Amino acid sequence: MPGLLVGTIAVPHIDYTAILPELILLGGMLILLVVSALVARPIPTEWYAAATVGFAGASLAASLIVWHDVSERGPFLAIAKSIDVDGFAAFALVTLSAVLVVAAMLGAGFLRREGTQGPEYYVLAMIAVSGAMFMAAANDLILVFLGLEILSIPLYVMAGSEVRREGSREAAMKYFVLGAFSSAIFVYGIALTYGATGSTNLGSIAAFLARNVLTNNGVLLAGLGLLVVGFGFKIAAVPFHMWTPDVYEGAPTPAVGFMAAVAKIGGFTALLRVLISSFPTQSGSWQPVIWVIAVASLSLGALAALVQGNIKRMLAYSSINHAGFVLLGVQAGTAKGVSASLYYLFAYSFLALGSFAVVQVVGGKDDVHHGVEHYRGLYRRNPVLAVVFAVLLLGQAGVPFTTGFFAKLYVLQAAASAHSYALAAIAMASAAIAAFFYLRVVLVMFAERATDDVRVPEAIDEVAVTASGGSLALLAPETVEVTERLVVGPWVTTGIGLAFLTSVVFGVWPQPLVAFAHAASLIF
Amino acid sequence: MIHAAFLIPTLPLAGFCLLALFGRRLGNPLAGYVATGAIAGSFVVTVLVFAALFTHAPASRIVVEPWFTWFSVDRLSVSVGLQIDPLSMTMAAFVTGVSALIHLYSIGYMAHDRQFTKFFLYLNLFVFSMLMLVLSDNFLVLFFGWEGVGVCSYFLIAFWFERPTAASAGKKAMIYNRIGDAGFLVALFLIYERTGSLQFTQVFARLGHLSGSNLAAIALLLFVGAVGKSAQLPLFPWLADAMEGPTPVSALIHAATMVTAGVYLMCRINPVLHLSPDAAHTIAWIGVATAFIGATAGCAQTDIKKVLAYSTISQLGYMFLAAGCGAYTAAIFLMLAPAFYKALLFLGAGSVIHAMDDEQDIKKMGALAALMPLTAFSFLIGWFSIAGVPPLSGFWAKGAVLENAWAVSPALWAAGALTAVITAYYMGREYLLVFTGEARWTARHDPASHSGGQPTDPRRVMTFPLVVLSVCSVFGGLIDIPWHPHLDFLARWLAPVVGANELVHHETSGAVVGFAVVEGALAVTGVALALVLWRGVVNRPALEPRFLLLAWCIDTAYDRFIARPSEAMAAFTASVLEVRVIDGAVNAVAGLARATGSRARRLQTGYVRSYALGLVAGTVVLIAYLLVRVKG
Amino acid sequence: MTGQGFPYLTYLTLTPAGAALVAVALPRSRPGLARAVGALGTFATLGIAATVLALFKSGTSGYQLVAQHQWVAPLGVSFSLGVDGISLFLVLMTAVLFPLALLGAPEREGTKAFVAWLLALESACLGSFLATDVLVFFLFFEATLVPAYFLIAGWGGGRRAYSATKFFIYTFAASAFMLVGIVALVAVHESQTGQTTFNIGALSHTHLSGTAGMLLFLSFTIAFVVKAPVFPFHTWSPGAYSDAPASGSIVLAGVMAKLGTYGIVRFDLELFPHAVVVLAPLLLTLGVCGIIYGGVVAAVQHDLKRLVAFSSLAHMGFIVLGAFALTGEAVSGAVLQMVNHGLYTAALFLLVAMISRRLGTFEIPRLSGLQHRAPVMAGVFTLVMLASIGVPGLNGFIGEFLILAGTFLTHRWWAVVATLGVILAAVYLLWGYQQVFHGPESAAPSPERFPEMTTKERLVMAPLVLAIVFLGIYPKPVLERISPSVDALLTHVEQVAHPVVPISGRPISTAPGKRIEAVLTSHPGVR
Repeated sequence: MPGLLVGTIAVPHIDYTAILPELILLGGMLILLVVSALVARPIPTEWYAAATVGFAGASLAASLIVWHDVSERGPFLAIAKSIDVDGFAAFALVTLSAVLVVAAMLGAGFLRREGTQGPEYYVLAMIAVSGAMFMAAANDLILVFLGLEILSIPLYVMAGSEVRREGSREAAMKYFVLGAFSSAIFVYGIALTYGATGSTNLGSIAAFLARNVLTNNGVLLAGLGLLVVGFGFKIAAVPFHMWTPDVYEGAPTPAVGFMAAVAKIGGFTALLRVLISSFPTQSGSWQPVIWVIAVASLSLGALAALVQGNIKRMLAYSSINHAGFVLLGVQAGTAKGVSASLYYLFAYSFLALGSFAVVQVVGGKDDVHHGVEHYRGLYRRNPVLAVVFAVLLLGQAGVPFTTGFFAKLYVLQAAASAHSYALAAIAMASAAIAAFFYLRVVLVMFAERATDDVRVPEAIDEVAVTASGGSLALLAPETVEVTERLVVGPWVTTGIGLAFLTSVVFGVWPQPLVAFAHAASLIF
Repeated sequence: MIHAAFLIPTLPLAGFCLLALFGRRLGNPLAGYVATGAIAGSFVVTVLVFAALFTHAPASRIVVEPWFTWFSVDRLSVSVGLQIDPLSMTMAAFVTGVSALIHLYSIGYMAHDRQFTKFFLYLNLFVFSMLMLVLSDNFLVLFFGWEGVGVCSYFLIAFWFERPTAASAGKKAMIYNRIGDAGFLVALFLIYERTGSLQFTQVFARLGHLSGSNLAAIALLLFVGAVGKSAQLPLFPWLADAMEGPTPVSALIHAATMVTAGVYLMCRINPVLHLSPDAAHTIAWIGVATAFIGATAGCAQTDIKKVLAYSTISQLGYMFLAAGCGAYTAAIFLMLAPAFYKALLFLGAGSVIHAMDDEQDIKKMGALAALMPLTAFSFLIGWFSIAGVPPLSGFWAKGAVLENAWAVSPALWAAGALTAVITAYYMGREYLLVFTGEARWTARHDPASHSGGQPTDPRRVMTFPLVVLSVCSVFGGLIDIPWHPHLDFLARWLAPVVGANELVHHETSGAVVGFAVVEGALAVTGVALALVLWRGVVNRPALEPRFLLLAWCIDTAYDRFIARPSEAMAAFTASVLEVRVIDGAVNAVAGLARATGSRARRLQTGYVRSYALGLVAGTVVLIAYLLVRVKG
Repeated sequence: MTGQGFPYLTYLTLTPAGAALVAVALPRSRPGLARAVGALGTFATLGIAATVLALFKSGTSGYQLVAQHQWVAPLGVSFSLGVDGISLFLVLMTAVLFPLALLGAPEREGTKAFVAWLLALESACLGSFLATDVLVFFLFFEATLVPAYFLIAGWGGGRRAYSATKFFIYTFAASAFMLVGIVALVAVHESQTGQTTFNIGALSHTHLSGTAGMLLFLSFTIAFVVKAPVFPFHTWSPGAYSDAPASGSIVLAGVMAKLGTYGIVRFDLELFPHAVVVLAPLLLTLGVCGIIYGGVVAAVQHDLKRLVAFSSLAHMGFIVLGAFALTGEAVSGAVLQMVNHGLYTAALFLLVAMISRRLGTFEIPRLSGLQHRAPVMAGVFTLVMLASIGVPGLNGFIGEFLILAGTFLTHRWWAVVATLGVILAAVYLLWGYQQVFHGPESAAPSPERFPEMTTKERLVMAPLVLAIVFLGIYPKPVLERISPSVDALLTHVEQVAHPVVPISGRPISTAPGKRIEAVLTSHPGVR
């Protein structure tokens, strides 16, 4: 009888303020779609960009409000305990919104240059960001999964958005297939965890594990493992990284920068929350796992990047290396580790966005010039751009007075205070190796003649020669003079400018940001 | 008056600064006179201080004039100060005196050199350093002077730097000296470690607490320094090459003053030597050996200055013989006497070279006695003095040495005596070849040559020093006559410094006379030998073997067995060890990283299936690990 | 800003950086302007440094003119600076060398960027010498790499790109371990005291187990020995020194090399006394090897700059020897020698630059008889050379003597072997001098190709020459300021290390008098 059903469906009270940033973005996304559908003649991409920046700004404001509430009345659970509103989430929300601002600007420049119409890029970006936001705030594995998918699917599409280019399509294909595969694994992980603990709510899982001692925790550990794999894929950690170089190389450059930032933030925040708030009791089991994954990511990322001739592939491997660094914070499993990871994610996001923005500019029409050799003499062609890129790269290498340095310092401190000295040492060794390939690009940019090399990857081994102490003249063989002008529109300029300033200002005056991250983890 | 002592070194220093700043403006010859004036002034002051010191009672004849603190770290506090005592004043007196004369001589000798002022600049700096050396009241400032004179000798040997031989000779001298200095430095460290001071009086006061081995080590290490500076075995080869320098330099630095610094050092540390007789005897033997080798080498030289160089080495050997025997007075005596006659001989040689338009091969000379009587006569005096013909200074000096040698060991005496004969002989050979026989040169009638073709005695500014030195060489012996207790002025004068540790031996007056007679005889024998063998003879290959010409091939041996191998070793280090091994290791690391990287790249096939496989593999491993940890 | 009084040191550190920013802002078309800014900035810095010297109270050991600024509180980092006897003269030397490098070896190409980098580098160097916070030190220590790298890669010669990268990577890799060491040390300190701080003074009271101490010591030391460089970690330096522009070589060898040796004295001795005492023989051996090796290799170089490079390898050996001998004489000598070496090496590189500016070569075989053309230059070169050989009366000697005499007290045989290095120095330098300046007039370049030193060149050399002579004749005022700090440091070393490790019967510190007593007690009755 219908009457019986009434009331059994308990519609939970929904505290909209708790998910205000997400709502703003999703709403904005809808508005854009509707407008683009209603207006007959094509709207210039800049307008969409402007709108997106506006929505992103709004969500940034909302995020700050959330942060304010949290610091006022402490963390709280909302919407049937599925959303955890705390400093941790707030920091992630702020970072993501800020990332979206910059990403939108870069997108504008790219789409204008490529003459692409329509709001898709912005719409997808906003969806993806909201997905990442859900992951950061989710207090329930189901919601985590939702967020994961909301984040991933737009990214697949963005990767393939340059349909004219075969590489783009290929990238999308690979990303989608493997992504779906990992999602499946992730879901299975959720199932096993539920089976072992009888709940998908992170809080209850923790509570359950705290209360009971499982006679056989095999299912639980298996579930945990599968969850880690799912996240590992998103954050591009070895051995779940293999899609990364190909996707980064193939996907349209602004999408890559965006992807690198947002996917990592989403994946890591969820990973941190799951491991640390639900499975602290199991740390004995997952810390070694993370340790191994971290070491693998650090070393493989650094070593493989050494021998890349394509800058996007190189940055792909470097992003793997960075993932390894963030894992230092995760592995520590302490409050300090959490804040360190958060800070690192923030620093990396803007370094990556900025770097890929420069790559996007140098890539030129059709986004093709991505060989290291295309950077030869960039300083002559566009000094400012070259200097900015140099700073961003050195920042990624962890040179003082950039956010990169303090990010590394912070995670190292976390690792050290958790007594993972070996891990710290390995990490810095990898950083030293990594420094080489960043320098390689810097050197080429400041080299004498601007040239354009048409030869394909044979150059790579020549590039590699340098590592063994050969002459660096081989870095990038000189050939024809580049004639093409570099187009840096106002939007891209602003975008790069923002990324650059964030990386330098917070590198010289890290106090506020560090304090934020510090607080973000304490309120947990 | 004693307080004026600080003027002694400062005047030459002032001269140096003056020339350094205004040398060009003063020009030739004024700069020369300024320099000479500075030294002469310093000589006057020395004499005055000397006199002042003389008025003191013998006991209180050691005055320390502190100047300023050089540096001071913890217990190592070194002050620049002068020690005014009979020994240092004796040294200062003859250093300034001889230097003044040689400065004067140089004004003439260098008249036509375009680096005229620079020459005097260096000379003044040299005298300053030499005076710091002899006047210092501690080992470190002594070392300062020690190095200073070394550097000046480097400058002056390489003075004609356009000649590669000269440049190399200068370098060689410096390096040989540095070898000795290494020993000197280690000695200083040991002294400081053991006594906590470097100041003579304090160090000597604490000697009693040092173990015998320490004392011996200090003595011998300082002797190593002396060996380098005073061209003893085995570090003498540089002195022969040093003759590349202008002749006044050879006379001043490489005959009269600098090379005697080693002997001075030995006399200065007489308390140490006294406490370690074995070390002392080693020194004596090395000295006499050097004397012998030097003398024999002198027999075969054909370069007028090389002969003198080896005779210097030989004479220095005598001095170390004396010092080693504990006969410090004799050592100083034998230092003063040659200061006169060696300088005399060198200046004579200089005049000859000058007159012969820079010809130095004695085989190409001859019959100059008639043309340059004054030079010839002074040279003759030099010859007889060095030979030890009574009653010239050399006779008394060498006599004193040999007597003491006998007292220590007849063997030493015998070696010394034999050397004495040879000395008289080779110097005779040189005199005869240069001044007698028929002329083996042809007068060049070119107006350019200052001598206007015919060799002649030089200008007065050059002959005056010759005369003065000749007089000194003749009567120099009078300062210390052993025959009568009231006539040994020098011994009594030096007593406050060395007296306590002097070798004490009392021969009967008969023995004394006996010695005198024997030594006189030795000298005469040598002279006679020379006359017999070299009168009117130019070549006696039998008596001039190549082995001796090359000074027992010691230099050659060094070149073959030390210099060349170490060069090869260095080249190997630089080209193989540095590049292949050390840097190779560094690059190997980088290469390894790269290799691993490119191997890792191979995993990246580009096929989705293989990526999926990787993903699965990773998952399986991970799960497997976790399941291993399963409880229950 | 909780520092007491006017923060001179902060201004001292940041003035060049400020000037660098100004230079960057200048139009590229006006190189003269950039040069002016550079001169202004460096001389202003020199002025502040001089003020610091004037305000410095001699005879005391602690940090003076301390300036503390809050920086990154959560990480426990505070921007705190201070100067003591050990750093004072290194700071002064830095402030002197940079203007000379800028004026003595200017670059025609890309002046603006050149000036900016040089100024940035000066800030980084000064910051490293003045930091009293380990992390601040590390920041500046690392920050020196970037400008130095761009100076070499941008204005160098030869295989500059290769040398620059090798220099960067090698030193960067080495200091990566130091960073790990730093955070580890801080973590240990944190676990003991519960407070996170990078302050040297605080950290120096951390209790470290033997192994931990050694590992941390090594992680710091690797960074320092590579930076110095110390044999066998030197292979980046010949390339970097010889391919760098003249100014770069001056700064690299004159100032940046000292960052390594300074780090050893300041951090190794202060933070890890046990490890220092235990591992001293190892480092002493490396130092001695460096002295001999550097001398030997220098003797067969055919490039003036490489010759100087290897000679400074030998000199670094002396400094390391002094630092680890752990006696007042030796360590004070080492500190003094850092300054001395900075002065005469800079002078040598300047002279080499003058020669190459005239003839466009550093190759010894292609040079000859220059003394005919430029006697004054030859004279200056001789003086500097003699200083570097260690002739008494010039600055090189005092440092070397103190180091060797001090080393002899605790490690006799190392000192003896090192003394042989004194001979080698004479060998290679005199050889080089003979090749370049001596020789027949016919072999010398024509007078118009090789003019005598210009007035400007003389003005640049004058301060160095004066300093070289002054420090040789009257080092007292300098040592008076150095040794109190050194004694305090060694007392600390002894207090921490002594209970654990008795050092070869001989006391390591020289709390005045101690040692001599120890020496003389075996011989009663001396006073």
